[in-house]
Amino acid sequence: MPELPPKPSSAPRIRNFSIIAHIDHGKSTLADRLLQATNAVSAREAKEQILDSMDIERERGITIKASAVTVYHRHKPGAGADDLETDFESPAEDASPASHQVRKGDSPESHGDLYMLNFIDTPGHVDFNYEVSRALKACEGAILVVDATQGVQAQTLVNAYLAVNENLTIIPVINKIDLPSARTLEVAEEVEQTLGFAAEDCLLVSAKTGVGIPELLAAICERFPGPREPVTDKLRALIFDAVYDDYRGVIVYVRVFDGRLRVGDKIRMIGTERTFQVTEIGKMTPKPYRLPNGEIGPGETAYVVAAIRSLRDVRIGDTVTLENAPAAEALPGYQPPRQMVFCDFYPATTEDGDGADFEQLRDAVEKLSLNDSSFTFQPVHSEALGFGFRCGFLGLLHMDIVQERLEREGGVQIVQTAPTVSYHVLVRGTDTVTGANGQALKSVDHSSPFYRDVPAGSQLLEVHNPADLPNMGHVIEIREPICKVEIMLPKEYIGDVMKLCLDRRGLYKNQNYVSTSREIITFEVPLAEIIYDFFDKMKGMTSGYGTMDYEVIEYRADNLVKMDTLINGEPVEALALIVHRDKAEFRGRNLLVRLKEQIPRHQFEIPLQSALGGKVIARETIKAYRKDVLAKCYGGDVSRKRKLLEKQKEGKKRMKNVGSVTIPQEAFMAVLDQGD
Amino acid sequence: MAHNTRLNVLPQRDGGIGRATFGSALPAPGGDLEPARSLYIHVPFCFHKCHYCDFYSIVDTQDRQVAYTDRLIGELRALAPYSRGEPLRTIFVGGGTPSLLRVELWERLLRSLDDSFTIVRDDDPCAVGDRPPTEFTVECNPETVTFDLMATLRRGGVNRVSMGAQSFDRGHLHTLERRHDPENVPRAIELARGAGIRRRSVDLIFGIPGQSIEDWERDLDRALALDIEHLSGYSLTYEPGTAMTARLSRGEFARMDEEVEVQMHRAVWSRARSAGMERYEVSNFARIGRGGVSVGAECSHNLAYWRQESWLAAGPSASGHLRTADGTAGHRWKNIPRLDDYLRPADAVGTSPLAEYEPPDPHRAVRERIMTGLRLREGIDPGWLRQACERVRPGSAERVRRSAETMSVRGLLEMEDRRWRLSDEGILFADGLAVEFFEAMD
Repeated sequence: MPELPPKPSSAPRIRNFSIIAHIDHGKSTLADRLLQATNAVSAREAKEQILDSMDIERERGITIKASAVTVYHRHKPGAGADDLETDFESPAEDASPASHQVRKGDSPESHGDLYMLNFIDTPGHVDFNYEVSRALKACEGAILVVDATQGVQAQTLVNAYLAVNENLTIIPVINKIDLPSARTLEVAEEVEQTLGFAAEDCLLVSAKTGVGIPELLAAICERFPGPREPVTDKLRALIFDAVYDDYRGVIVYVRVFDGRLRVGDKIRMIGTERTFQVTEIGKMTPKPYRLPNGEIGPGETAYVVAAIRSLRDVRIGDTVTLENAPAAEALPGYQPPRQMVFCDFYPATTEDGDGADFEQLRDAVEKLSLNDSSFTFQPVHSEALGFGFRCGFLGLLHMDIVQERLEREGGVQIVQTAPTVSYHVLVRGTDTVTGANGQALKSVDHSSPFYRDVPAGSQLLEVHNPADLPNMGHVIEIREPICKVEIMLPKEYIGDVMKLCLDRRGLYKNQNYVSTSREIITFEVPLAEIIYDFFDKMKGMTSGYGTMDYEVIEYRADNLVKMDTLINGEPVEALALIVHRDKAEFRGRNLLVRLKEQIPRHQFEIPLQSALGGKVIARETIKAYRKDVLAKCYGGDVSRKRKLLEKQKEGKKRMKNVGSVTIPQEAFMAVLDQGD
Repeated sequence: MAHNTRLNVLPQRDGGIGRATFGSALPAPGGDLEPARSLYIHVPFCFHKCHYCDFYSIVDTQDRQVAYTDRLIGELRALAPYSRGEPLRTIFVGGGTPSLLRVELWERLLRSLDDSFTIVRDDDPCAVGDRPPTEFTVECNPETVTFDLMATLRRGGVNRVSMGAQSFDRGHLHTLERRHDPENVPRAIELARGAGIRRRSVDLIFGIPGQSIEDWERDLDRALALDIEHLSGYSLTYEPGTAMTARLSRGEFARMDEEVEVQMHRAVWSRARSAGMERYEVSNFARIGRGGVSVGAECSHNLAYWRQESWLAAGPSASGHLRTADGTAGHRWKNIPRLDDYLRPADAVGTSPLAEYEPPDPHRAVRERIMTGLRLREGIDPGWLRQACERVRPGSAERVRRSAETMSVRGLLEMEDRRWRLSDEGILFADGLAVEFFEAMD
């Protein structure tokens, strides 16, 4: 039976912190190195990035789900660099704190006081900003990692701002200093210039070689404050993450601020008002370690198992208290996740197989929603595409990840329609307004920060499907989400990128010096202009050196209209768009040209049209093909000809029929990549 | 089934056309295979690679004709048991340029064919009924035709020549990089006739960049004025990997306007008909007797391909098919294409290394029959179609029938003599319609 370290002499001091960074700046490698240096994992395990656990995360090099890991470490107060446990302790065989056995006859105290380090991993992308901010709320400190070869990037800034907003103490770390192309001192200057930390306060580290790790461990213990004192003896614990496990249901990660939580307690989620019985409390070390005494107190983080069946029952950011001794109020700052980008998923099949494949898609979507509560879905039906789901996402990356996971984990092939943003439509009258599929359109939540300026006798509706737009006669105005976009880039590209922002209806806000070679520019750009190819364009223009981040700051009214696309005279809802009036013709023409490239010729002529309220503003024609027969059967090589035709047959499987026109899946994506 | 694994596995190579990519082998002769009654021989030599051609051929700078002939004779000996002593119905020697093979090598080849197989001569007194004279075709380049060669072929049993005229217009021949004098075509036909080769065919190509409908009609008139019983009129196909395709993508010329190409199709149909020939396949026309009755001028060898009969294949890159005795499927294979690879037999028996092999698959066989059947005038027997579809995909026969009905309503397919066959309009969409049938079968 493992024991906890004896009290009180070595009652650990607690440090809760996160590592934040721009993508690929080495956050996960640093986390691994810290775990290894504190002897939590073996060198072999450290080769893999332990805190990331999903396949997709690993492939894309990003972290989607936050998790918290607890390790123990010894630090002598005042020391500038710590002994590494790898140097004086045996490996942690059962991964429990008690296994921190000391060899060479040392007493553990000779290496300093015991610290409990809880590090809380955060997603690296702005789509998951809310998750990041929840994770940061559970911390007192943040390690801000900057790549010594790349310097400060857009996400570095955004993450740093988030940490500053949460009043965290920040340790700036410059990583990868071992690389020949490292510009360590220059990057330290950038950190000072853009973030205001003194360049000499930056720790210089190579997570790869281990240089600077003893100093970083010492700084974590010295510079980060301990947890605040409890303000009540009633339990208040913040849920900062939750993951779904096939066997145990939802596993909730909590940070206790006040009171104590024990196995057997009946807990109550203040926001959802759901109650559950706690069956297990433990810590990830990083292997799961069930606490033998089953209890945690103020300042600690832990995972909690409480027979919670679905992630829908848990809200990240909610406060856990006790059912029989509830705290008077929740911890501050909860917000529901806000879906900003929407698109439809349909099963990709021929017309015959629709029913079966829809069921398969439904299973996949429901299963995925168990472990990603921030995407929403509702069934839709489209003339062209049959039955499917309209899904909402935190952002574009989130959308890509969900699609990929559905295809990979759910084994379904998906036709994805062009993404749209969530519009706010101000309409006259307060009667219920129904959308295209007969369902009532949702009003914008009154508690939303974007709910404003709704005169008496009118209502503000949420519309993210162009087909759902109410009769324009009743519409007072259409408001769209506006992003604050920050782009960090080498100076020579500024002109091009500014032009791109202006072309995308951007408003210039700001331009700031980062270093002698780089600047950061700030624009306000409609989200709708960002969700197609903005990022790729910006990357292309800056030879890959530009980085950007965006955040929705408000909704603004503009001259927005619905543009229909007609194929062979039939409007195809999946290709309808809400566009700015001034850009309608341009967007329409572009869309038609792309459609024309994607839709194969048929035995008849197919007109393609863009229309605003019945008025055609652009037209293209796909000419009929007049023959589809190869002259020769290749002598006796019948197989070759047959394989050609079989390939065509397979290709048609991923197509959809609109009337008598067969449209490949790619055509529906044509709306996506409309360049200039 | 007694599969014999002695055959034909070449170690895998890195890419290139000589790649061997299968791990199976042909079954032994006999067993449950029906006897092969057709034989294809590929002669890979050319004196120039024509720009549209994607058959395997080489400009032989090292004079490997003797080595090739030796090897070919060995291969024919190894293949002979598959005919089980039955007389061959057809032999087709294609290329490449078979007429480029030297006369003395032709003599050896013809002798070895006689030794290994049973060939029924035109003048064989028993050549009747189920023992018709063997249709023995050799493809010729008009430039290389000599009386000596024709007489040699005739003596060896050849009774049919297919003359690659392609066009009578020097400019268009130049576009195709065909280097022969068009005036040699009538001369070659005349030499063949004079040597006693009684069946003669001419190949033409249309849709050549720069060709007008009038140009094409002139070519047709010149070809049909010749003393021939058969005409092939192919629309130019841009095969991947050919010089023509490369030149097209470089923008040296434009693809022919489809509308003009369709007119050209119609021109060959109507001109051939006026000359007493009928289309019996997408690109092939044969003289017919009074009342439209076949007089046997069709190329029986090609019909064997298109009816999924069994045929043996010899020579580099040649493709063969051996049907199982119940007729529901067959083995398909393709010889290794590179001459140097081909010159080394795969085993002691003398068979060739294979580049591709497909074991019998009844579902595949039905698709193949549909694909080639649609291209034929004789079309597809609806009774067979129903039974075959139901056998390989229970429940599919009804879908396939509905699909056929729909095509019929669209005016692309018609029922004639109780068979489904494509209409003139439908013939132009034969590939797409085959795909529609494949979809219906799934």
